[in-house]
Amino acid sequence: MITRDVTIRNRAGLHTRPAAAIVKLAAKYKAEFWIEKDGVEINGKSIIGVMTLAAEQGSTLSLRFEGPDEGAFAEAMAQLFESAFGEPT
Amino acid sequence: MDLQQIKETRKNSITVGYLFDSNKERLRLKALNGETGFGKEIRDKNIHRPGLALAGYVELFTFNRVQIFGNTEMRYLRHLTLQERIKSFETILQFEIPCMIVTGENTLDPELLTIASERGVAVFQSPFETTKLVYFLGDFLDDQFAPQTVLHGSFLDVYGIGVLMTGRSGIGKSEIALDLVERGHRLVADDVVMVIRKGEGILMGAGSDVVKHFMEIRGLGLIDVRAVFGVRAIRFQKRVEVIVELEEWRQEGEYTRTGLDHDNISLLGVSIPHIKLPIFPGKNITVIVEVIALDYLLKHYGYDAAKAFAKRLDAAISEKNKGRRAIDYFEHDFE
Repeated sequence: MITRDVTIRNRAGLHTRPAAAIVKLAAKYKAEFWIEKDGVEINGKSIIGVMTLAAEQGSTLSLRFEGPDEGAFAEAMAQLFESAFGEPT
Repeated sequence: MDLQQIKETRKNSITVGYLFDSNKERLRLKALNGETGFGKEIRDKNIHRPGLALAGYVELFTFNRVQIFGNTEMRYLRHLTLQERIKSFETILQFEIPCMIVTGENTLDPELLTIASERGVAVFQSPFETTKLVYFLGDFLDDQFAPQTVLHGSFLDVYGIGVLMTGRSGIGKSEIALDLVERGHRLVADDVVMVIRKGEGILMGAGSDVVKHFMEIRGLGLIDVRAVFGVRAIRFQKRVEVIVELEEWRQEGEYTRTGLDHDNISLLGVSIPHIKLPIFPGKNITVIVEVIALDYLLKHYGYDAAKAFAKRLDAAISEKNKGRRAIDYFEHDFE
């Protein structure tokens, strides 16, 4: 299992487009993927789940990966958050 | 998802202001000293009546609870002289009390109200009688401090039974949910199910306020079930009664064949029937989920199909003629 903390960097927060980008990337990997914010943990492969977080700019999320390809998965996901989903920060 | 590993959370405290705002209409609360003490925290879900403490006995005084002043307390205070009354009131205010509620037609003397304000303790008034207020407020506090969790699954009311379907992402929970809604059952929540323990043995499930009755169907996108199917297709909350865990059929998987060996699962400390359902292409899960709900209903009314069958089998074994036809002679019925 790998856990990693990330911060939402883009100004608009975790709205529909970035949420879709997250679940699309997640669907490529086999490992299970969970995101936690303020004690609420949701399945990172579910777009409804990701949008439930309603994470705003500057909020910290804790990512949890568990499965055969968790290493590459965690790396790719962290990079996506780091890129601010290609949106203005 | 491993249901044994879920994250359980619970609130440690709520503010007095939150208690007031959430209940002012239901309990017709009036704040007698403005917003004094609204920032104070309540950390105990229990309620206390400070009768003995007012009389001076403060050992075991559970001061950290919401204090209710009913007829007993008020009549005791009233039979004292003003001087004694102030002394008695100050006795309990030397403790860190979160807030006080005066019930029924009772009121607090202006002198006592001033003392409460000086100590920064909110005093509310409710026209409800004490037993009623304790009942409603107790239920509210119980709800606020109840253990809760968020589960990944689809939650529906099937024939009045709360069926929570879990299983890995992409296994088809939402599609089955949609199918069930199409057949007249009601969706409570999809993908994100918030579960809270009520009282000692009841789990209540609901959706999140952001998502409400939206669901995602792979390849289609987001669907608003309420807009598409109407208000009959949804409900806001439901008791969780059965958990159905969907998983791909595995050759080596162990599945019950008789139904005599169903396990219960413990969720937030509540034991819930748990059915592991193997799925494979061409299997109609919707109908099976309906049957699970109906079977649960039957069991609830005292009929357990597996046990009834086992009993019949035992009776047949002890009899001599085995393997007879269900009906011996058809009486010229050639249909």
